[in-house]
Amino acid sequence: MRAPIGLRISSRRRALGISQVALARQAGISASYLNLIESNRRQVGGALLLRLAHELGVEIGALSGDAEHRLIAEVEEALADPVLQSAELGLAARDLVAQQPAAALAIARLHRAYQGAQSVADDYADRLRTDPLLAELLHRVLSGITAVRSSAEILEDVPDLDEAERRRFLASITRETRGLTDVARGLIGQFEQEAKGRRTLSPMRELDDLIFERDNYFGGLESAAADLRGEIERAGAFGEATLTELLERTFGVRVVRSSGRELDAVGFPGQYHFNPDTRVMWFQTSAIAATRQFQLTRLYAELAASDAIEREVLAPELRSPAARRLGYRALGSYLAGAIVFPYAEFLGEAERLRYDIEALRQSYTASFEQVAHRLVTLRKPGAAGVPFGFLRSDPAGRLTKHFPLPGLPMPGAGHACPLWAIYGAFRTPEALVRQVAQFADGSRYLFIAQAHARRVANFAERGAIHTSVMLACDVLHADRTVYATGLDLSDPGADVPVGPACRLCPRRDCPDRQEEALMPGGQPGAVRAPLVPRRFDIGEAG
Amino acid sequence: MSVDVLIAEDEPSILDSLDFILRRAGFSIESVTDGDAALAAIRRDRPRLVVLDVMLPKRSGFEVLKQIRADAVTHDLPVMILTAKGQAQDRQTAEDLGASSFITKPYANADVVGTVKRLLAEAAE
Repeated sequence: MRAPIGLRISSRRRALGISQVALARQAGISASYLNLIESNRRQVGGALLLRLAHELGVEIGALSGDAEHRLIAEVEEALADPVLQSAELGLAARDLVAQQPAAALAIARLHRAYQGAQSVADDYADRLRTDPLLAELLHRVLSGITAVRSSAEILEDVPDLDEAERRRFLASITRETRGLTDVARGLIGQFEQEAKGRRTLSPMRELDDLIFERDNYFGGLESAAADLRGEIERAGAFGEATLTELLERTFGVRVVRSSGRELDAVGFPGQYHFNPDTRVMWFQTSAIAATRQFQLTRLYAELAASDAIEREVLAPELRSPAARRLGYRALGSYLAGAIVFPYAEFLGEAERLRYDIEALRQSYTASFEQVAHRLVTLRKPGAAGVPFGFLRSDPAGRLTKHFPLPGLPMPGAGHACPLWAIYGAFRTPEALVRQVAQFADGSRYLFIAQAHARRVANFAERGAIHTSVMLACDVLHADRTVYATGLDLSDPGADVPVGPACRLCPRRDCPDRQEEALMPGGQPGAVRAPLVPRRFDIGEAG
Repeated sequence: MSVDVLIAEDEPSILDSLDFILRRAGFSIESVTDGDAALAAIRRDRPRLVVLDVMLPKRSGFEVLKQIRADAVTHDLPVMILTAKGQAQDRQTAEDLGASSFITKPYANADVVGTVKRLLAEAAE
């Protein structure tokens, strides 16, 4: 479904001082039809949209409605939240965005702030229950109060205290009160420290905002990547051997491999780890060539071009230290990907091979995920590839990484619709799964997913878990890819009917629903109901 | 010298006030500040009742209580548990380990004295 971009058109027209009649004439339509478009009572696309963009002097992308699609998805999520269950706005999210865009934006922002505040409250509740430092501070508070109370009662209730005893218990009260003051300051400081690190927007959301604003294309990093690739190739053919030699010669980094375990900077065991003190880059023997090449590239990029990454991290969208840390890591990986897969060359190969990920993997000694990730960043204005969205899931179904595709209703966190190919791929590991998915609003997407396992280093390691990676593109672009081969994209009857996630999905009749849909107006779906209908209203016996 | 009440408490101000109010109530008092010293004093001096804080250095009050109940000589010794953590789980733990009484900090002095008197009277019956 097209985004309600009527307000964009009328705002731009007014800014140019053009009347509705004049613009309509220039675009070859009636003024009344233009009025319907500007009030979002008619959708516009194709050739007419191109003409309007031309007459308004803007790129077609400015009227693409990406921001509106995203806002619609956010408002839908907000309206499905239990806190708004009883709100009866009388408008679907799309209509709200079309007719009351400022109100829709306010709802989306308030919901984000509310979710952030809920997350903070949950964190504090957990901390109060389990944090040993807080437990110790609370114990000291109670002990101090006990001493003060007991001493005060002695002073009050014992009439024949001698002077020495009186002074003794007064001193006890004074001493314990000072101690309580220090503890109170400690507690307040502890919570203030926590609060400084908190935002009403989560760090992941801030990073999402940055990626969305840039359409997942960072020109500064692409330029830096071209320079770094040139440096590497002057030392030898691009690859692990040249990178290893260059890292040692330029930065004194030694690369070692062993079958043991190392912890990274935040204490997670992994297949690779750079120790900045010893200047050793360690790889577990199970790390495949694609991993070694990519991580060596990333290390080289972070050592040689940290300023290029930092410039991007200073973007206004990244406000919190946590978001900037996440951003640094994500953009470091972006830069590495841009070096491994130089933009123009990779785009040319991708088009030539019709986005065949397996063929591209072998050309570049890369993994499925690395290729998929780079495909999503082919968004250079004027030289863009097929627009893809990206999702990664762990075997518990939790989405651990995503790059949005405008228009595709993709959950920001948690779980997606269980029918999506990203989950089906777990049933056939290492085999590519294709799916044409259709959403309730009629939009259709080609999903391409594959589940992979991390190699184990030795017999003692537990069986490696799989992760599943999925790319998604609008069916309109599917025939530019090899994955449309054999599919009849003109027949929506063969599509798999899906939603974004059960709680947000209006398909009441879906037999695979896993969760009640909390739709606007508090209309829960009929799932997990008792066999014999019962009323469970408040105040009635169950 | 016989000891009526052994107090095991590591917070000096609390120990001082407990010592004062129980002496004033007529009891002979011995005080220790950690769990190991509490067990040693119990075995050496055979107090008639123990006031035992849970959060003690070296050995917790619950561990001391468990040892008291495991020893045939001290098995029936009245023990009053003092704790700043008045949660249901602590109360249950104290009960399961055989505490004679459980008092949550901050307490009223009169409650401590009253409970000590009651427990000693019951033990004498």
